[in-house]
Amino acid sequence: MKKIITWLTGRTGLDVAISSALTEPVPGGARWQYVFGSVLTFLFMQQVVLGILLAFYYSPSASQAWASTAYMNDQVAAGWFLRGLHHNGSSAMVIVVVLHLLQVVWAGAYRAPREVNWWTGLAMGGLVLAFALTGYLLPWDQKGYWATQVATGIMGSLPGGDPLKQVIQGGPEYGSLTITRFFSLHVFVLPLVLGGLLAAHIALFRRHGVTPPANLNDAELKRKTQPFWPNQLFLDVAAMAICAAVMIVMTFRTHGAELFAPADPASNFVARPEWYFLFLYQLLKYFEGPLQIVATVLLPGAVAVTLFAFPWVDRATSRRPSARWPALMVVGGLMAAVTALTALALVEDAHNESYQKGLKLAEEESTRARKLALEGVPPAGGIAVFDNDPKEKARKLFKEHCSTCHTIEGRGGQEAPSFDDYNSRDWLFALIRDPHSKRFFGGTKGHKDMKAVPAVASAVTEATAGAAVPDDQLRAVVEYVLSLEGPDAGPTDAAMVAKGKALWNGTVECTSCHEVEAGKSDTGPTLAGRGTVAWITRIIRNSSEEDLFGDTAEMPKFADKLKPEEIKALAEFIFSQRGVKPAAP
Amino acid sequence: MSRERDPEADPHAMEPEDMSPEAVSRRKLLKIGVGVLGGGLGLVPIVPALGYLVHPLRLQAGEAGAMLAAGRRSAFGKVPVRVDLYADQRDAWSRESNVKVGSCWVHEQDGKLQALSTRCPHLGCSVDFDAKENAFKCPCHRSAFDLTGKRQEGPAPRSMDTLELKEANGLVTIRYQRFRQGVPGKEPV
Repeated sequence: MKKIITWLTGRTGLDVAISSALTEPVPGGARWQYVFGSVLTFLFMQQVVLGILLAFYYSPSASQAWASTAYMNDQVAAGWFLRGLHHNGSSAMVIVVVLHLLQVVWAGAYRAPREVNWWTGLAMGGLVLAFALTGYLLPWDQKGYWATQVATGIMGSLPGGDPLKQVIQGGPEYGSLTITRFFSLHVFVLPLVLGGLLAAHIALFRRHGVTPPANLNDAELKRKTQPFWPNQLFLDVAAMAICAAVMIVMTFRTHGAELFAPADPASNFVARPEWYFLFLYQLLKYFEGPLQIVATVLLPGAVAVTLFAFPWVDRATSRRPSARWPALMVVGGLMAAVTALTALALVEDAHNESYQKGLKLAEEESTRARKLALEGVPPAGGIAVFDNDPKEKARKLFKEHCSTCHTIEGRGGQEAPSFDDYNSRDWLFALIRDPHSKRFFGGTKGHKDMKAVPAVASAVTEATAGAAVPDDQLRAVVEYVLSLEGPDAGPTDAAMVAKGKALWNGTVECTSCHEVEAGKSDTGPTLAGRGTVAWITRIIRNSSEEDLFGDTAEMPKFADKLKPEEIKALAEFIFSQRGVKPAAP
Repeated sequence: MSRERDPEADPHAMEPEDMSPEAVSRRKLLKIGVGVLGGGLGLVPIVPALGYLVHPLRLQAGEAGAMLAAGRRSAFGKVPVRVDLYADQRDAWSRESNVKVGSCWVHEQDGKLQALSTRCPHLGCSVDFDAKENAFKCPCHRSAFDLTGKRQEGPAPRSMDTLELKEANGLVTIRYQRFRQGVPGKEPV
């Protein structure tokens, strides 16, 4: 082993390289406040490793991105953990970048001769945010999609920003090119640029050394000097371990990163950015119309310029913090403002009922989508996952086979009864009152036998039922009809049912056409079990059976056209419409 | 090592290291600490990554392994007909219906139908039927097989792979399977 090492080092100079990397005097001794740079380097490297691992399963395309992310997260062993760690890694990086910046500002390490080091650091801080922004979109879920829309929307709202926006998002709208571009930026361009800047940053750091506390004189610094290896490196690694431990705990606590339902451009999702962008989001609320540019560009731009010019903003002659209080105040004020805006955004959302409601809906949608994705996502990808839902399958069948004549969810033909709010009390009431309205049998060719039941005597004619039935009486009849459905109808009012039954046999004269006992039949459909899934199934199979519509049936028989399970799914879908009122068109 | 240094933070040259026994053992302890913690950090992504990366070992052939419709019995005779087999397929996260999963040659052999996988047992090229010579030929490495699928010449280690075939009510179904390439025995993959 020793021989191999000697052979290798003799040819590569690896030993010299390693020892020169480790042998670095730390004037004034190793300190905890020097760990942030190392922790960031560690975090970056961990993100690279995790990112490569994620790429083993992730597919960057508008149709595949969500499905592949859901697969990795929910079906591949430890996928949720690796993705969660990568997600938390971005938060950790943002936090440590801020801590690093604060330490540098406190120590005055931006001052001559370390200006270039300061700039490379600031540039990398910006890149960390760019990583977050580009990475966020990649799962192509609701949150990523809508939060990123805001960012590119801001870009487009700038003077002359439209072409820029189109180039970055790969067209006038989000689509396949958006995701390939963001992927390319996130996975190739940004890491390469950050890696280059990091190399320069470290080289410059080695050139200038650490910035020790300003209150120690040279002799003391020299006396307390310790080697980087192992004294400082131990602190660095210990800090990395603490950081990693926190990230692991967070990852377990939330079972990885959130993944919302697939991006749906037609939905109204409650878009919020990730927590570290909330202050910018909050700032947007205060600047309306033409002033928006203040929040999107001018203020952030001014902050960036101030930070870049910081070596000159700070005019103090000494590096001691007490001598630099104006410069420290600038950064302190900035941090306070960012914290306050973030807190405001959080508090406002916590009290925003419609946001909380929207979030809850979004989470339910996410659970549903991810459960359906376990069966595999259809080739169209993304929201096509909802096609796996039995209800969605039934809706498709309905559209294909039934909607030329029947209406559901506000859409469809008027040749046959509408199923919106089907079989509810209101629906039955309206049907008995006027079976010939377009909503019921008005569009059919036959089905003219059942007579309308007017509310007032003056409306009684030859074409209507014999006697007028006021609303309250008709309500009772409806209750009785509903009770014939059995337990599926839900609770019914016994007194109303009894009253309705009397009217049924008496004034309203229903008995002349309808039987109410199973097995019997008359000219109209027998009403025992009417409205149940089993009854609807029989109608779909063959509505011309003796105890159904008999020879007045017009509906095609579907027993031979659809599979039994399809008919059952359709019947369940129609049954489920009770209480579902279509949104006004 | 004469490098320009920040005048404010001039560390000068490092003092010779403290060689007292306590200092030496303390440094040793720190070095061990770095090794242990650093190694632990490396394991954080590596350990879960092992199970994560070998996930494909847990995947199984889905419906593709079922008996698939190949056509009517009357469509087949003594001359081999190439049949594409379709199945609903799960491919990682996607679910596609009616995807071509493979093809085979179907023809009568002593009055009975026989299905031969088109995949050459050598390296998996698609074996063609040469009507002139009444034999199966692999276009890649010149393996040749007779009408029964028996190896005649070339580098193929075994005869063509027969697939399970069933006839019922005038319809033919075939179970499409893949077999290990390059070995003399027919082993399902």
